[in-house]
Amino acid sequence: MTGRLILLALSLGAPLAIASAQQKKDPMAGMHHMAGMEHDSAGMPIPMPKGMPMIPGLVGLVPPGGTFLPGAGLDPMRLPAAKPSHVVRLANGDTLDLTAMLVKRTIKGHDFAMYGFNGEVPGPLIRVPQNATIIVRFHNRIDLPSAVHWHGVRLDNRSDGAPGVTQEPVAPGGSFVYSVHFPDAGLYWYHPHVREDIEQAMGLFGNMIVDSPLADYYASANSEHVMMLDDLLINGDTLVRFGADGPDFALMGRVGNVLLVNGEPGYTLHVRKGEVARFYLTNAASSRTYNLSFGGASMKVVASDQSRFEREELVPSIVLAPAERYVVDVRFARPGRFAIVNAVQAINHYKGEFEVELDTLGFVTVDAAPAKPDYRRAFATLRANSAVTSEIDRYRKYFDKPPDKQLTLTVQTTGLPLATVQFMTIDTAYYAPVEWIDGMPDMNWLSTSKQVRWILRDDATGKENMDIDWHVARGSVVKLRIFNDPRSFHPMQHPIHLHGQRMLVIARDGIPTRNLVWKDTALIPVGSTVDLLIDASNPGDWMLHCHIAEHLGSGMMAVLHVDR
Amino acid sequence: MRVRHLGMAFAVPLLVAAGPYDIPLFSTPKAPAASGSARLVFAQSPFGIAVTADGRAQYDVQVTAADLPAPSSLGKFKAYVAWATTPDLQRWDRLGTITNGTTTVGHVSLNKFLLVVTAESDSAPSAHAGPTVLHGTSPSGWLQSFLNHPMFRGITG
Repeated sequence: MTGRLILLALSLGAPLAIASAQQKKDPMAGMHHMAGMEHDSAGMPIPMPKGMPMIPGLVGLVPPGGTFLPGAGLDPMRLPAAKPSHVVRLANGDTLDLTAMLVKRTIKGHDFAMYGFNGEVPGPLIRVPQNATIIVRFHNRIDLPSAVHWHGVRLDNRSDGAPGVTQEPVAPGGSFVYSVHFPDAGLYWYHPHVREDIEQAMGLFGNMIVDSPLADYYASANSEHVMMLDDLLINGDTLVRFGADGPDFALMGRVGNVLLVNGEPGYTLHVRKGEVARFYLTNAASSRTYNLSFGGASMKVVASDQSRFEREELVPSIVLAPAERYVVDVRFARPGRFAIVNAVQAINHYKGEFEVELDTLGFVTVDAAPAKPDYRRAFATLRANSAVTSEIDRYRKYFDKPPDKQLTLTVQTTGLPLATVQFMTIDTAYYAPVEWIDGMPDMNWLSTSKQVRWILRDDATGKENMDIDWHVARGSVVKLRIFNDPRSFHPMQHPIHLHGQRMLVIARDGIPTRNLVWKDTALIPVGSTVDLLIDASNPGDWMLHCHIAEHLGSGMMAVLHVDR
Repeated sequence: MRVRHLGMAFAVPLLVAAGPYDIPLFSTPKAPAASGSARLVFAQSPFGIAVTADGRAQYDVQVTAADLPAPSSLGKFKAYVAWATTPDLQRWDRLGTITNGTTTVGHVSLNKFLLVVTAESDSAPSAHAGPTVLHGTSPSGWLQSFLNHPMFRGITG
């Protein structure tokens, strides 16, 4: 392979270099701030998959514009060390001070200046009873404007934390007061809605668990564990810098090469034989979709974003797109040490082949001593949640109506390096429904929000992104059909998130969904058509966007106005 | 459209109509007038996509066929059976019987595969034995190798 690539470099390198506006005479020019380059043993500006060189026509290019890392000029060692998340139990009417701040994080032996809420990564786990309202006094003490979005919560629009729609960004040094009401039990999370590609990736995220008053809301379990999944892109001993003026990695989002659980690599957990462990899983990564399993232990999916499923199901793995949450019960029947694995089918674009990629996120050690009580029977029972079904029944009459709104997901590009355009064109014969890894990080890194425009297009009007001006009446039930166009320049899956409402994924590619759950984020695979039924009951101006941070930062957002 | 192949005319699907989940099926000399296509539909899943524990997509296969002759007209055969095979033909997974019209057969969770319809003497054979009447390649079979692409072969010699 190497020999053939050298030939490619000789034959293609020169014309591509001339064609690219990004080419520098000195491949290192403009990169003096990119500390990773000097120390990368492979001599590449970004880490490439093992055994895969950069595409010849891209060697020496850098993304246009300046770069950014948190805490410029600060010695990370002088920052407070990040602490693990701790639980903050709040009652109705309580107040929480939440401060976004610079912290020192040590990952794989390297110290980095990053971010945390209240010095914690993840931020404090906020645990509240259903129907509580809390006051959060947010203080921005980082070096970027920020805000806090309460993801999935059907709260008052003024507290949604969406700069440009519901508030102005909170400047460094500034503050903002949110009133957060929790009408639905479930698992939620909070994160900034300003430059998520930086702020969220650098550690600004945290969970919220809203407890139902019903003692048997979930089946019995021996233990509960929160896992916030994300990843970090490191080159050698440095963080890969971010675009200062807008996201880079705009084609498919920044996919990290260090997988983290609760902000740390190497998650560990000890349980007892037969223990039923309840995991609250959140995908806080910018772009990565996970396919998670627990060393062959039996898994039962219980709930997702905003409710329980109609029926509990045993599953072989748990698929989490960015921003999705799942509550999963896992029974560890045998003693031993079991890997928590993210197992996906990567595509080796050079070979044109699929390859299994396994990442171990951590280990669960199962002691020989039996767990007490023994919840084996409760675990084996797949509960039907009649309350969920009964509530959804009120909406079934809308399932078969024609779509009220239709969106097509696509992309436009301009000014990308010619080598990128050529290789992407070749690669269009087949698209995987989900791109699980970044198989071409060199192309991806060099694409920025200046060159890539991700698009939500209203089929009825042709309007795109923030020009879409949808108004619906409060209390209406809106059927939204989304088609992810497979014939665009770079088809890719999109986790579409709607703020402040709840929705059902009622059909995929015309096949009705058999087991429903209330969602705020739905994965739209490449080439798929997904029907969403939106319960537009919460008045206000609500963002609808792709939750891949770099796609959002490249324009893929609109606003749904729910009129009072 | 029709093309001449091995001295006989066979129905060939319009490839331009194929989407990422569509498999055009090609006829063979055993049933030259037959035509068909298959559609891959994600299996039911509580998640945004149905996959196996190692991440392979799981599909239900819908086969649409037309102008299949009676199986008995090809010999001592009673049914048409759809199979998913690995590209090296080492593994054959029986999906189910099909007829003219649209039939939803079993799951497939292979990365790259061929869809093959054979005439069989049994509707649930454990192995394929009869003649092939339709065949096609999964969309993932179109996955290109950069290094083997003609564009680069031409340049690199």
